Amino acid sequence: MLNRDEWLPLARKLDWDYTYVREDEVFPQVISGHPWLPHSEWKDWEESFKTSYREYVDNQYEKDMAVYAVRDAVSRLENIQKLAAPWLNSLKVHAAALPLAEFTGVIGSLRGARFGRDSAWRTMSTFGALDEYRHTQIPLLLFHQLVRWDSQFDWAHKFYHTNNWFAIAARHFFDELTLGQNAIEFAIGTNFVLETGFTNLQFVGLASLARESSDHMFERMVTSIQTDEARHAQIGHPVLEVLMKHDPEYVQYLLDKWFWRSWRTFSILTGVSTDYLTALEQRPYSFKEFMEEWIVDQYLRMLDEFGLKKPWYWNIFEDELEIYHHMIYASAYTYRATLWFDFVIPSPAERKWLRQKYPKYWDDMDAVWEQVIERWRTTGPGAANEFAVHGTAMPTFCDLCQLPLSGGSPRKNTANVLTRDGRKYIFCSEPCRWIFLREPERYANHKDLVKRVLSGEAPAEFTNLLTEYFQLTPDTWGKDVYHGAYDWLEAKKASVA
Amino acid sequence: MPIPLYGFLEGDMLGLLVFAEEVETVQELARKLQDAASIRVARNNDVELIYNGKTVDPALTVAQAGLQALDRFDVIWRHKV
Repeated sequence: MLNRDEWLPLARKLDWDYTYVREDEVFPQVISGHPWLPHSEWKDWEESFKTSYREYVDNQYEKDMAVYAVRDAVSRLENIQKLAAPWLNSLKVHAAALPLAEFTGVIGSLRGARFGRDSAWRTMSTFGALDEYRHTQIPLLLFHQLVRWDSQFDWAHKFYHTNNWFAIAARHFFDELTLGQNAIEFAIGTNFVLETGFTNLQFVGLASLARESSDHMFERMVTSIQTDEARHAQIGHPVLEVLMKHDPEYVQYLLDKWFWRSWRTFSILTGVSTDYLTALEQRPYSFKEFMEEWIVDQYLRMLDEFGLKKPWYWNIFEDELEIYHHMIYASAYTYRATLWFDFVIPSPAERKWLRQKYPKYWDDMDAVWEQVIERWRTTGPGAANEFAVHGTAMPTFCDLCQLPLSGGSPRKNTANVLTRDGRKYIFCSEPCRWIFLREPERYANHKDLVKRVLSGEAPAEFTNLLTEYFQLTPDTWGKDVYHGAYDWLEAKKASVA
Repeated sequence: MPIPLYGFLEGDMLGLLVFAEEVETVQELARKLQDAASIRVARNNDVELIYNGKTVDPALTVAQAGLQALDRFDVIWRHKV
């Protein structure tokens, strides 16, 4: 009998040369991806961490049992109800964004499982697809008990099926990254850029925050997901190795495109959770510190390893670490009814911490929070006054990433207008404009929320936009967690009196 | 017919959609943007409107200033020399 190390290479490498069909009929370029290369160029495709199907099943079983054990021990509703309100709202963000995004990963991985150019790649992608099923089902399972308790957790399950502005942006990102993607671009964009880079941030960092917040359910969930991620993320490296020999410029473009798009999405998901929705005493680091340790250093090392250059927009990205998610959060606070979770204003102590961590632009951010606080001071706290402390004008969005036009800084917004074929577009940043111009045929006919309102496709009247287009209700739309009744805000009002 | 414009107020967090009438003055347009952003940025009387990189005479109308649908304009704090 062969031992495992002897039979596994036989079981992994199963391709043969086709005699009765052409290789490009079995692996058409439109689905397998560019550049189209004969199998001789792919035959040495090698993943670092090899696993057999039996090992896969055994390992995944153990992981699932660990998740169930934590669920049974600490995930009873009464445990969840004791968690801090801001942290619970971070969970609502993830309850909405995570499960179906993972399911799109199933579909993208299955494309790799059929159209990846080597059998070992296809096998790893098959396991990857099974992983992503797990990553879909675990949050659906663990969050399900919260559905009857809090209607915003219930709403989270229909997030991707609505035209909420953040759902539009999330679908725009995931539809292209995973669903409509060929196997090569999926391996680079998802496995290499998103998973090797950003989901480390998402899952390891969030696990740390969850532990500090005493949320052991979420901690176990994301930790368990991360262990799968580390295995299937490795698909990207050997694909990149082959591509670098044949079309390094294309590789550079794919990396630069997907790094920027991933940054945009994850800075909102994780930046907001880290710096605003986690209690101050439970923050082990700032979002910027975490990005610098987990993303920046690691990503630059990987680029160097492959002889790739830093993205041309790296200075823009480094500056955005200081400010982007702050501008997004403050904008979203003042338009919180357009979202499905609740917000908090940073306290004086939190603003002091934020100033220390983000000194470059904090004066401008602090001025905005002072203005918002002054509005609460003037109107008085209370649920009835929520809309008195809320934006009234239509916010605007990037025609590429579909996110608010919050690029640059408060003193110098980097939104830029382009006229093409008689139509005007606006982008939040130079990188978004650059991506659009590289593939205009992909993006030119998309309509952001503003264009949908102007064309009559979406309602212009605010309440109708919330209820008909975003499918929110007075119970589910976002509010201030405390309706403006902060101890520190009331105390200031008393001293003024 | 109101013209939809992208307005950016110095100190604000995001761009806002502002509808301008062709006959309203640039000064009125600047005030309109400030009103729209007032939840986040305090009103300031000492501002100027920038369009296509140039300061626009506040007495001009939106039509005279040449603003077209979906253009960007900025309202910035007048910086003392």
